[in-house]
Amino acid sequence: MTAELFRNHIRLSIADTTLQAALDANAERRGRGRAAAFASLPDWRERRQRAHAVRAQVISHLDEFLAAFSAKVVENGMTVHRAKDAAQAVQLVLQIAQASPHLALKRSEESQGAANKLFAKSKSMVSEEIELNRALEARGHRVVETDLGEYIVQLRGEKPAHIITPAVHLQRRQVGELFQSKLGVPYTDDIPTLTAAARKVLREVFLTADVGISGVNFGVAETGTICIVTNEGNGRMVTTVPPLHIALMGMERIVPTLDDLALMLSLLPRSATGQKLSVYTQLIHSPRRPAETDGASERHLIIVDNGRSRLRDSRLQEALYCIRCGACLNACPVFREIGGHAYVGSDGSLAPYPGPIGSVVSPGLLGLPNFGQLAQASSLCGACQDACPVGIDLPRLLTRVRAGDPDRAPQQEGTALSFVSRIGLQAYGAIASSTRLFAAAQRLGGIGARAVSPFAKWMWLPAVTGWGYSKDFPRPALKAFRARPRDGDASVGPHPDMHDDAIKPWTRIVNPHAGTASTALERAAAAPESVIAASPVDRFVHELELLGGHAYRTESADLTQRVLGLLHERRIDATLAWDDVPEINKAQFKAGGVKLVHAADPALRAGLTGAALAIAETGTLVLTSGKGRPLSTSLLPEIHVVILRASQIVWSLEEALQTKEVREASAVVLVSGPSRTADIEMTLTIGVHGPRELVAYIVE
Amino acid sequence: MRAVQLFVTCLVDTFFPEIGEAMLSVLRSAGTDVRFPEGQTCCGQPLFNAGLRAGARRIAEHTIRVFEQAEGDVVLPSGSCTHMLRHNYEELFADDPAWRDRAGALAARTYEFTEYLVDVLGISDCNAHWDGPLAYHPTCHLHRGLSIDRQPRTLLANVRDAEIRELPEAEDCCGFGGIFSVEHPELSAEMLRRKIANLEATRSPTLMVCDAGCLMHIQGGLHRNRMQQKVMHIAQVLAQA
Repeated sequence: MTAELFRNHIRLSIADTTLQAALDANAERRGRGRAAAFASLPDWRERRQRAHAVRAQVISHLDEFLAAFSAKVVENGMTVHRAKDAAQAVQLVLQIAQASPHLALKRSEESQGAANKLFAKSKSMVSEEIELNRALEARGHRVVETDLGEYIVQLRGEKPAHIITPAVHLQRRQVGELFQSKLGVPYTDDIPTLTAAARKVLREVFLTADVGISGVNFGVAETGTICIVTNEGNGRMVTTVPPLHIALMGMERIVPTLDDLALMLSLLPRSATGQKLSVYTQLIHSPRRPAETDGASERHLIIVDNGRSRLRDSRLQEALYCIRCGACLNACPVFREIGGHAYVGSDGSLAPYPGPIGSVVSPGLLGLPNFGQLAQASSLCGACQDACPVGIDLPRLLTRVRAGDPDRAPQQEGTALSFVSRIGLQAYGAIASSTRLFAAAQRLGGIGARAVSPFAKWMWLPAVTGWGYSKDFPRPALKAFRARPRDGDASVGPHPDMHDDAIKPWTRIVNPHAGTASTALERAAAAPESVIAASPVDRFVHELELLGGHAYRTESADLTQRVLGLLHERRIDATLAWDDVPEINKAQFKAGGVKLVHAADPALRAGLTGAALAIAETGTLVLTSGKGRPLSTSLLPEIHVVILRASQIVWSLEEALQTKEVREASAVVLVSGPSRTADIEMTLTIGVHGPRELVAYIVE
Repeated sequence: MRAVQLFVTCLVDTFFPEIGEAMLSVLRSAGTDVRFPEGQTCCGQPLFNAGLRAGARRIAEHTIRVFEQAEGDVVLPSGSCTHMLRHNYEELFADDPAWRDRAGALAARTYEFTEYLVDVLGISDCNAHWDGPLAYHPTCHLHRGLSIDRQPRTLLANVRDAEIRELPEAEDCCGFGGIFSVEHPELSAEMLRRKIANLEATRSPTLMVCDAGCLMHIQGGLHRNRMQQKVMHIAQVLAQA
C-alpha cells in the first residue's frame, strides 16, 4: 500500500492554477451562501441535533425501516429490488429495461426494434459508485447525463469532482471549448449561452429517452415516498417524460416520517447550495394512474447495499448518517487545495466520494487497503463537522479510519502512515510512556541540538523530512520546563507574591458564562431575517420575488384579463393548460385570442396551471398530479403561470407535507422559483430544463 | 486556595519552557496554588491522531496515573491536548470500563488555560500590558473542538494598550495537524501559506495562539521565509505586566 499516487495527485492539483482559482471560488461562494441561508433558520442548532437523532435512529434500526419503506413502496404500485453489490445493481437496471412492457410498446410504435436504448440520467452519486454508465455503454446502450455539471464532465470523459457541483474544477472557458468541439456550437464563454446550448441538446434527449434514471435523496418509511431534489428540472424530466423510471437509492437514505423529511429538507439545500429549498423537490408515490396523461408508467426502485451493511456494522457507522449535501467538501481546507479528482486509492482509482465524508465513506464501502490513505489527508481541524447539517463527528471517524479495523487486522493501525512516521511515532510512544526516558530524551535532545545548531534557535531541516518542506524546526530547550527551577518550588507551594498586598486584585467577571462561543455559522444565525411578513400572502410574495419569480395579487374578476395581458405581451397565442384552471374564464380566454391546449406539446412556450398549495416561508408552489393536471404543463414551457387562491397559502413545509393532497397524489412537485443552475463557475443561471419564468397570480 | 496541577504538555516542556513559566506566573498571580506533577510526559495525541491507538493508550495510561496522584484542577496551555483528554480518552478506552472511568474522572477536572481563567476563576482582566498590535488565531481544537473562543478574546480585550487586529479567515486551520504536516507537507504548506498571508494583511508583528503545536508550525514557516513576525502563546502576553 502506498500513498505515492495520491501525493502525486495532490502535487499536480496544487500546481494547477486554473483548478486553484476554481476551488477558491467554490469555497468562498459556497461558504457565504450557506451562512446566509442558515441566517433564516435561527433554530438550526436544535434542528441539527434532531436531524442527527433521526439519522441515528434510522441507521440503528435500518432493517426494520427498510422493510416498512419497501412494503409501502410496493403498496403504492412501484417495484422494489435489492442489490447487494454494484454488479447486481447494474444487472437489475439492464433486466428491468429489457423486460419492461412499456418499452416494448414504445419500440413497436416507433418501429425501431433495436435492443439499444437511450437512458436519460439525472444526478445520482450511487450510479457513480456502481459505475452504471460504463456498464450500460458496454452493452451498447446510450446514457446521457442531464444535470448540466454531470453532462459537462461526461462530455470530457471525466467523473464528477464534487458530489453537488460535478464541474467545480472547470472554468467557463474550458466549458466553452468543450461545447465547441463536442456539440459543434460557436465558441463562447457566456454562461447563459452555454447553458442554453446544453438545454437544447438535452431537451431532445428527454423527449426521446426510453428510460429515466434518477437517484433518491430520501425515502420516507411511513408513506413509501421517494424524494428527489434538483434545481435544473432534469430530475423532473427523467421521472415524468420517459415511460420507464428506475430510481437508484443507497440503502441508508431512509427517514421515518414526512415530518422528518421536512426537517431534512430544511437542512439539505441550505447546506448544499445555500437555498431554503431547491427549485424542485419531488415526492413520488406511484406510477402514472389510469386517468393521468404523464409521469412514468412504470417505476422501479433499486435499493443498493454495496458495502453499506458492512459499514453499518463497523466503527464508521456514523458515516451512514450523511445526507450528501457536500457542505463538508466546501468547508474543508484540504479539499479546497486539491478538489475531488485528487482523491485516489493506492491503485490510482478515483474514490467515488471525495472530501472529508468521502475519506470515510470510500474506505468504508470499498475497503481500507485501497482508500484508507485518504483519511491521512486531514489536519483534523473540524471545519467539516462544524459544517455538517446532521452533526457527523468527522474528525473522530477520520481517526478511526487511520486506526484501521481492529477486528479484522490489528496490524493495520496507522493506515497508510509512511514507514518513517510509524517507526518514529512508535519510538516516541515508548519514550513518552516513561517519565525517566522522556526526561533523558529531553536532555539528550537539548544538548544534541546545540551540536547541530549552536546559534540558531530554529533549525533548518531538509524537505524530505516532511516538516522541512516549508518550515524550520524549533531547537529543543537546553533545560526543559521540568528541569527548571520554578521559584525554588521543590514541593511547589503557593507563590510568595500571593501574600503581597502590592498586587492589585484582578477583575472578576460577574457572570463568567456570559456570551457564547461563536463559529461563523452562529454569527450568521445571530442576525435573524429582517422580513418576517405579517401575513402568509405577504411572506409568499416576498420569498418568491427573492427567488426570481413574480407574484401579483389580483381580484377574481380581473384575473383572466391580467393573464391574457401577460401572454399578449409575450406574443403567445396558444398555451398549455390544465383542463381546469381555477378562476380562469375559458370563454373570455378564447375571446382574448389565446388557445388553451391540454395535450402536451413541447413547442408551446407557456403553461397555465393552478396549485394544490403554496408555502409562505420558502415561496414554494405545491403542484400535484392528477386527472387533467399533467406535470409537464409546469415543466416543458419557458413560462409557467400559476393561479393561486390566497387561502391556499400555508406557512411551512411541515404543514404542506401533512395535507391530504400531498399524501395522496401519485407525484408531487414543490416548485421554488424558476429553473436554475450554478454548475459553471457557481454562477447562477436561470432557465435550464424547466421554465425560466415563473409568474404567480394570487386571487384574494 | 485552589490547587492547580500544571500539565505543560510535551511541546512546551521540551521546546518552549518559557510558555510554561508564563502560565505559571499568571496562574500564581491569579491566586492559585500551582504545582507541577513531575511524572508527566505527553497526553498521547501525536499517536492517537496518527491512528496508533495501542501506543496512544500506553501514554494515556501513564498520564492518568500521574495526575491521579495530584489533587486539584489540571490546566493545560493547549486546546488540542485538552481536547485529547476530554474527548479522545473516552474513545481510546471505549472498550475498557475501568480505564474509561479513570479517564473520565481526569477529564472532568481538566481545563484549557484561558477557559480556566475565565470560566473557573472568573477572571476577565489579568492587568497585563502590551504595547502595540496583536492578532489572534483561534486554533481549531480550541474553538471548534472545545467551543472556547469567548474566553481568550475576553482576556485579550482587557490587555492594556494592546490593539487587537482581526485576522482575516481567522478560523481557517493553519495546516499543522500533527503528523499531517509531515505526511502531507504540500497540503500543510499551502494552508500555512494562507495563514501567513492573512497575518501579513493585519500588519501585526505578533500573532497569538493557545496551542504550542500551531505556534511551532506557524513560527517555523515564518522563520523559513525570513519573516519577522512572532507567534506567541497567550500566556506570554498575559504575563506581561
